[in-house]
Amino acid sequence: MAVTLTNELPPEAPVVAPDLTLTSLSEEVSDRVLMSRAPLWWWVGFLISITLLTVLFIQLGWLFINGIGVWGVEIPVAWGFAIAEYVWWIALASGGTIVSALFFLTRSPWRSATNRIAESMLLSAAPCAGLMPIMHLGRPGLFYWLFPYSSVMGVWPQMRSPLLWDFVCLLCYILMSIMYYYSGILPDLATVRDLAKTRSKQILYGILALGWRGSVAQWQNQRVVYAIMSAIMAPMVISVHSVVGLDYAGGLTPGWHDTQFPPYFFFGAVISGTAVIIMLTILVRWGYSLQKVLTEYHFNAMAKVMLVGSLMLCYAYVWEAFGPLYGSDVADKTEFYQRLFGFPAPLFWSEKILTVVIPQLLWFPAVRRSQLLLFLISGGIVVGMWQERFMFTSASLEHNYMPSYWGYFYPTLWDWAALAGTIGLFLTLFFLFLRFAPIVSLAEVREIIDEERSR
Amino acid sequence: MTNLFGIIGVFRTPDAVRNAAEQIRQSGYRAFDAYTPYAVEGLDRIIHPGPKVFLPLLMFAGAVAGAALAYWIQYWDEAVSYPLNVGGRPYNSWPAFAVSTFEFMLLAAVAAGFLGMLAASRLPQLYHPLFDARTFERASRDRFVICIEATDPSFDVDSIRALFEQLGAERIEEVPA
Repeated sequence: MAVTLTNELPPEAPVVAPDLTLTSLSEEVSDRVLMSRAPLWWWVGFLISITLLTVLFIQLGWLFINGIGVWGVEIPVAWGFAIAEYVWWIALASGGTIVSALFFLTRSPWRSATNRIAESMLLSAAPCAGLMPIMHLGRPGLFYWLFPYSSVMGVWPQMRSPLLWDFVCLLCYILMSIMYYYSGILPDLATVRDLAKTRSKQILYGILALGWRGSVAQWQNQRVVYAIMSAIMAPMVISVHSVVGLDYAGGLTPGWHDTQFPPYFFFGAVISGTAVIIMLTILVRWGYSLQKVLTEYHFNAMAKVMLVGSLMLCYAYVWEAFGPLYGSDVADKTEFYQRLFGFPAPLFWSEKILTVVIPQLLWFPAVRRSQLLLFLISGGIVVGMWQERFMFTSASLEHNYMPSYWGYFYPTLWDWAALAGTIGLFLTLFFLFLRFAPIVSLAEVREIIDEERSR
Repeated sequence: MTNLFGIIGVFRTPDAVRNAAEQIRQSGYRAFDAYTPYAVEGLDRIIHPGPKVFLPLLMFAGAVAGAALAYWIQYWDEAVSYPLNVGGRPYNSWPAFAVSTFEFMLLAAVAAGFLGMLAASRLPQLYHPLFDARTFERASRDRFVICIEATDPSFDVDSIRALFEQLGAERIEEVPA
């Protein structure tokens, strides 16, 4: 058995609590799905989410009526919050796939209880990412022109553009994520179906489980396909986020035109995605009292992934500085000095502190054990990564080649409404996942229980 | 005699079900299957032995077809139907087509695997005679079930009951067809 990332725990340390049995696991997790009344904290969280979602709809309405002039985007800064937040959201989603698919391939035992949270998170974040560029289109109703279909105009999309690659990537990524999620959850839906007491829930989960029986052949098919899907999803998500990096690297703007962008973006995805998963896992563990299933072991492992992500990001930051400072391009240098000491400097420095300096606390085992500190550090990372995405999107455009062309970006209330609204969409979807789907992969945790029992 | 789908024996542990499957196979039965809450290791070597290459090959075929289709769409668009001179690049600028080809190839592979998994598992199939067995619902939770089906040439209710009892089945149940 792989003991990656957990070397300071003794080899016999339990992944899940030793008194957890097959019976109690299924009932504890399924009860959360099948209870007739959701707990108070769920309703409070859901109402907050719905309120924010309402903000999104109002924002969308105002935006579609008036055009993107309601935002702060202007020439020279034509890429504002929407594009930065597109990158931010897709990074969070990608991080979810990394935790789920990459660590399935390494057979890390801590992945089994957290992968469903990661996948629910990514399926909630991906629509937010998809919405951002559509909102940013001047004529959002025509977004379907990106599809290569035979129209009466005889006009086709430009296949050589990174912006079109990006559209293809996001579309493929969302479709693949849905199939990956469903392949994993199918046996768990059968458990919920068999535990359901009311007729309506029996029918609902009976249809969703598609008649899964758990026969040997069915398990064989499911395991084989799931393993290959994981092996596909891991490089897939790296390519998706790299292509997002190419959107920038393909431009000639100072600060963007850099070959390190694809890996740089991916490093950001690892750290910010893991941070959101840690925050949501703490919420789920506390709210659903799943202390037996989600143990210190899981937080310890995820905190280390986050620490590694922070170090990789630090490496990217070093190169980001090295390029302009070592090179002879005046525009690159000027733009970079602006980031260091000019208008975006507060964002620049606070972001470095939040994503690189403070996460170094994770070297201490005591910090990794404290859920409060983990939550705060993760929250700081998520905010810091938002700052980072926004800062490099706007700072480069603010200081382009011609000084006469310089200008600053000031967000409007509607910019903030778009951010708050997509957070609402994300939380609403996640709370629905939490309420209606098993939030822990039952089949895989059963294997962990079996392994622990036979040790 | 009522028409039977088969007889199920319910076991408590993965070791018991592995042992039972082994014994049932040695007793000469062929038409039987196990239903477990997770993929019990070793069970597939007893019940469905042999290499499993169909689904991986299907996914590979999906990948090839997806890549071919994606490249063809891009080629048709940029080189045949709507050629645009972009900085003197060739109309069939394959490096620029590689990204979308790659993504669509993976999508097609995953879709082939997903649909293939459902088809090979005969899903969706919302009704199955086994669902009428009272203890079968626990096979998705904490019990390990073996069903010897009535299609087996040596199917005989009494001897199967005796065999299940000898193997330590917690419960034995006849499943009507």
